[in-house]
Amino acid sequence: MRLISFANDYVRYVLRGSTKFYAWMGFLSVLIVGMMYVFYLQNTEGLIVTGMTSQIHDGLYFANLVFLVGVAAGAVTIVFPAYVYHHDGMHKVTVLGEMLAITAVIMVMMFVFAHMGRPDRLWHMIPPWGIYSFSAMLGWDVLVLNGYLFLNIACGFYYLWAKYTGTKVNNRIFMPLVYISIVWALSIHTVTAFLISTMPSRPMWFHSMMPIRFITTAFAAGPALIILIFLIIRKNTKFWIEDSAINLLSTIVSWCLGLAIFLTMSEIVVELYARTEHANGLYYLMFGLHGLTSLVPWFWSSMALMLTSFVLFLIPSVRTNYKRLPILCVMAFTGIWIEKGMGLIVPGFVPTPIGEVTEYYPTFVEWLMTAGIWAFGFFILTILLKGAIGILQGEISYGSSQAASAE
Amino acid sequence: MSTDNTPPDSTDRMPASADPAQAAQKSSRRDFLKAGGMLSLSSLMGTAALMAQTDEAKATVEWAEHFQKNYRLMTDDEKNEARIRLERRHSAEYGKKVTVDTSAAQPGVLMGYALNIRKCIGCRRCVKACVEENNQSRGTRPGERIEWIQVLRMERGEFSQEKMNQGYPEGLGIQVGGNAYTPAGQVLEGQYHYTPEAVPEKDATYMPIACMQCEKPPCVKVCPVRTTYREADGPVVIDYNWCIGCRMCMSACPYWARRMNVAKPVLPKDEMNPVTHYLGNRPRMRGVVEKCHWCLQRTRQGRYPACVEVCPVGARKFGNLLDPESEVSLILARKNVFRLKAELNTFPKFFYFYD
Amino acid sequence: MNRNLSRTLILALFCNVAVSVFAQEAGKQEAKETVCFESRKGASEITKREIKPGLPNIKCSATTDAVLWYGDPYEGTVPMSKVPLLDKIPEGNAVVKPRTEKLSLVPTCTLACHNGVTPAGFPKHKKPVPIPTMEAMVPEVKDFQHGRGRIWCLDCHHPTKRNLLVDHFGDPVSFDQPQLLCGKCHGDKLRDWRDGIHGKRIGEFASTGKKRWFVCTECHNPHNVQNGAHQRGFTQLQPEAPPQLPFGMKDAKHEKQHPIHH
Repeated sequence: MRLISFANDYVRYVLRGSTKFYAWMGFLSVLIVGMMYVFYLQNTEGLIVTGMTSQIHDGLYFANLVFLVGVAAGAVTIVFPAYVYHHDGMHKVTVLGEMLAITAVIMVMMFVFAHMGRPDRLWHMIPPWGIYSFSAMLGWDVLVLNGYLFLNIACGFYYLWAKYTGTKVNNRIFMPLVYISIVWALSIHTVTAFLISTMPSRPMWFHSMMPIRFITTAFAAGPALIILIFLIIRKNTKFWIEDSAINLLSTIVSWCLGLAIFLTMSEIVVELYARTEHANGLYYLMFGLHGLTSLVPWFWSSMALMLTSFVLFLIPSVRTNYKRLPILCVMAFTGIWIEKGMGLIVPGFVPTPIGEVTEYYPTFVEWLMTAGIWAFGFFILTILLKGAIGILQGEISYGSSQAASAE
Repeated sequence: MSTDNTPPDSTDRMPASADPAQAAQKSSRRDFLKAGGMLSLSSLMGTAALMAQTDEAKATVEWAEHFQKNYRLMTDDEKNEARIRLERRHSAEYGKKVTVDTSAAQPGVLMGYALNIRKCIGCRRCVKACVEENNQSRGTRPGERIEWIQVLRMERGEFSQEKMNQGYPEGLGIQVGGNAYTPAGQVLEGQYHYTPEAVPEKDATYMPIACMQCEKPPCVKVCPVRTTYREADGPVVIDYNWCIGCRMCMSACPYWARRMNVAKPVLPKDEMNPVTHYLGNRPRMRGVVEKCHWCLQRTRQGRYPACVEVCPVGARKFGNLLDPESEVSLILARKNVFRLKAELNTFPKFFYFYD
Repeated sequence: MNRNLSRTLILALFCNVAVSVFAQEAGKQEAKETVCFESRKGASEITKREIKPGLPNIKCSATTDAVLWYGDPYEGTVPMSKVPLLDKIPEGNAVVKPRTEKLSLVPTCTLACHNGVTPAGFPKHKKPVPIPTMEAMVPEVKDFQHGRGRIWCLDCHHPTKRNLLVDHFGDPVSFDQPQLLCGKCHGDKLRDWRDGIHGKRIGEFASTGKKRWFVCTECHNPHNVQNGAHQRGFTQLQPEAPPQLPFGMKDAKHEKQHPIHH
């Protein structure tokens, strides 16, 4: 009974909004419709409508998938200080981080669907109808991602439920789940790194630095996005997020960004000093091979964005200036998106294991699909955050709607 | 070594007929009668509808295909059902009697392959023979033409006084001269799209590469649905109906042996090879991965793979590794043999050798 | 050289050329049948036909006229004669394609000159001398590329029986079994060929299975085996078409570029 009224109140609250809200959601919907069309196209025509080939068979979709797993894991930068260091400012907004994690995992799954050649056969992975393979990293990835999704839904919505009903959170159930989800967050990105770093056929990826590089970049890109969202929430809603929370996040971004840059530099030195044929992927990324240079601008713009934003993040007066902070966050976020996406996935395929050098040209279909999935992500994120904020502020609570409707 | 000079069972019991279609058809007809009584409802629906030759019928058959199990987990009856379903559908689609063999690995056979790297002249006849035999897509849009064998052309290169200042290496190739102070090139790099008027060229060597049928295949390890696996007689195969198209196997393969069907394969009716194997050359569908399987539809019937038969210089050798008298066993015993990327712990059963 | 002999030879040559030209034209008129060469251009051809509806005996390359696929690997073969140490193969499981009928000059030759008796003016010793008539009929022998001057025509061809080869003992060898002759010098190759390591065999892969064996001259031109180091004993061939360029690639020029700029 209370569950129905929870759902009812939640939906009612979320649907109410200003013109600005509806314009935003409408804009996202247009992109989502576009995405649905190209998804239909991909599953009737085939992946021929994309720029993926037998040589370079993971492209924009896989790149976004990897990046978004990082964003999902990045949510732990809120949960960890809140529950381990008992940071008050963070504690207030933990649930927002969990909502972001839910969104990111859902987007990851959508990119999986976009990436697959036969999404209609996905059930082949799921027992008892299908076969689950414990030897496959992709199997493990699916397992940890679904586990993370479940943990975040459980923690986030249990907390909201408690707020909604006005009951106290049962810490004997809640806290273990929170601690598990903290470790689990690391696991999702580690397994995603293993997904590509366990293949000696692709020397660009085949090194044990991959998981820690993934985690540092995730803990830079994730909080950067969270800061942006927090600043938007502060500006557009009555929900106040404390400066201490934002400042802690920007500190985390600075350090993780620094570490990420350090690891990238280390890799460049190690690979290019010896300059074996195994460095060809990186060389292609940085300078091009055989005169094919389509990724070179991507790499250098990513390096410029990351380095500039890192230097600026180190300056306290810039970091704590909330007018300039969003620019830094966008720079860091974009830089990492390029580095981890196009800059990591595509050069893994150039040259092919037997030395063929080809280039990847994403098609309009791929860009539209990517934009559509991001739009879908923002769509659900908006709904989740709006509902969560409503509950946190006490605008939705058990009994309030009955009272309102009775009036 | 108890096997010494006795021939492997398979060939004794099942001699390859001059016409491989005959052999396959004979067995399939027999199995069809045998299986007649045990057809499940779904396939009955499908086959009955197919006889009516309507689009709806085709849809029904495909619908039933969607719900079949992983080939390895099928019982013999289920395999028969799946086989009949495919034979019906393909026969209707290609306008001729298509057979889908489901014969299993024979004990005492472990297939092996050897290629004389010194003999290869780079004519690419094996590449095209493979396409003729294995029903690959042969469309015109990029990505619609699939070839399983790649032939690399590598320049021989030379050390000479004139080239002392041109770096190391100069141009493409494996062995060229110059000073060692400019960056080193690649070992396994070559041309794929070479188009000379005649081969072999004076200044080039050639290296054909296809699936190595590894004993420890990395592609099998990464498959999340276990649709690709090593058969008991050696080849690594794919159940195309179970593949989800995630392409992890393509990333994991160190020999770039796997290809993606980015669209529905373009396979003209008159060019389609009607003698097929379930795990071999039966027509594939959109969105699945495919690869060389050593012509399972031929080799399970005792016949040489198609590429071996057309190689104009006899560089390609195929045989049973468990038979010490087979050509591959004798090559391993007598010649200088190497395997590609042996350091990756894949244990290929494809050996390169030279006189 | 005897004047009469040379006149006869020239006459024979003209007859032969006329006959062969006529035969070729007749062949063209008959039907547009697909004739494809097997291993070496000019060594052996197969005419495409249907074994039964939907199953051709061969498939051919549209670019190079080469055989790309065998529907019937044993078409037109006869059992191979005894080869030393091949007794493990059951009787009739080793077959070859007879080559004698391919030799278009043989009927004319055996009729006109090499009809079992040594023609007048024929060299009595085995020392090489130029024979203009033979050079005119088989142009490639003018630039004979085999043995680096150590062998010539009569080391392999029977002096009086022109439809046969000859071994070191002077015994005749059939054109269908040239390995018995070639192996006299190339013993290591004969051994590898016998074991299936050298050369080509099609049919069943089991070591005792039925196979069509390709004999030496089906792949190598004995008059021209060392024509430049690059040919590796083979006459150059036109290659098949290169693979398709992947999506977005305009050409393959980058393959010829130096991988790294410096």
